[in-house]
Amino acid sequence: MMTEKPALTEAELLTYAAGALPPEEAAAMKARLVDDPAASATLAEWQLQDAAIRDLYGPVAEEPVPDRLTAIIRRAKAGDAAEQARPKQGRFALIAATCAALAFGAGTGWFARDLATPSAGAQTLASNAIRAYETFVVEVAHPVEVSASEAEHLNTWMSKRLGHEIRPPDFAAAGFSLMGGRIVPSAEGAAALYMYEDPQGQRITLYIAPEGASPETAFQFAQQGETQSFYWMDRDLSYAVTGTVPREMLRQIALAAYDQLI
Amino acid sequence: MRVLDEIESAIPALRRYARALMRDRDRADDLVQDCLERAVANRHLWRGDGPVQAWLFRILINRYRDLHRRDPAPGHLVAIEDLAVEPVQFGDPESGLALREVRDAMARLPVDQREALLIVALEGKTLEEAAGLLEIPKGTLMSRLARARATLRVLTGRGPGADVLPGPGRERK
Repeated sequence: MMTEKPALTEAELLTYAAGALPPEEAAAMKARLVDDPAASATLAEWQLQDAAIRDLYGPVAEEPVPDRLTAIIRRAKAGDAAEQARPKQGRFALIAATCAALAFGAGTGWFARDLATPSAGAQTLASNAIRAYETFVVEVAHPVEVSASEAEHLNTWMSKRLGHEIRPPDFAAAGFSLMGGRIVPSAEGAAALYMYEDPQGQRITLYIAPEGASPETAFQFAQQGETQSFYWMDRDLSYAVTGTVPREMLRQIALAAYDQLI
Repeated sequence: MRVLDEIESAIPALRRYARALMRDRDRADDLVQDCLERAVANRHLWRGDGPVQAWLFRILINRYRDLHRRDPAPGHLVAIEDLAVEPVQFGDPESGLALREVRDAMARLPVDQREALLIVALEGKTLEEAAGLLEIPKGTLMSRLARARATLRVLTGRGPGADVLPGPGRERK
């Protein structure tokens, strides 16, 4: 390769291969490729790779779509049509009821407290919460046992199992909406696991276990692999907000939970 | 209604990408089903800032990564230096690649490289679009693509001889 032009770099070649160059630069690139057999060979190999990948998987898009997938759209369209047919008032009443339910707990604030060394109980709490998150966040078919659409049933059931009146907080300000909840085991009996999701499909959980602490604890933080958790305990219950979202986002959500749950 | 129509029209591409990521037909359709359910449930939150298809791909990719964190497939963390070239598989450079070999090689790529190569080579996304969908900087995307292509080349028995391109970290004599 005795040429005065510098050999093409991978980055240049990738950009060219992706068809991302304006026409005049692409033409210049083509000219350089003539003098660079190594780059030409690599490019030809990549084009073979692309062709093989398209041959392998391209036909999937031509297959008839399975009914279980089209059914999701069909049900949603039917739901929308029913929604439009229903008098508007019904929806507003529902929203008002939700606001009222969330209003208790407003007006209280988070007071920074001394950071304490986590007790053994608190560490168990964090590790249980992280394990519960990791078990159910990957669940495709049944991420929750009772969905958020059955809010009343969810609240009654969870409150009964934990022996305390509990309501899932609202994280809409952070872009997360409640999917629903399930009962999971904890060191002290049944615990509640609420799952939330943002429009991008990122999930977080709020774990509430029937284990209190005196004195109440400040926020504590635990991490296991990519999964992070903010947790704290009040007189009757322990809480953990867990997820793989950025830590600051998770902290804001935990603060929102604290404000609403106290 | 329009969002639902757009979601519906994206299903074939989502299935194609999911199938290529996961290989197994049923598991791939499970992933698409999960993605569609999430999208449909959140459709009222969709603000219309960009194509619906890109939003769906982001959901799919996030769900795929969740699954993978739980159950990393074999082939994860295969360094290119550790891959043996099998000389029997050297093919005629003029001919196409054996599809079965490419399929097996794709399965052995680390997940981040597979995601990147498929979104560009199969879905035809531009580098900017692909970086956006995978939520990584463009430079990271480029290095994943380069590594994926080099690994694929070795795994299909067409590994580089003297004709290796100069590039970051890849210099040879």
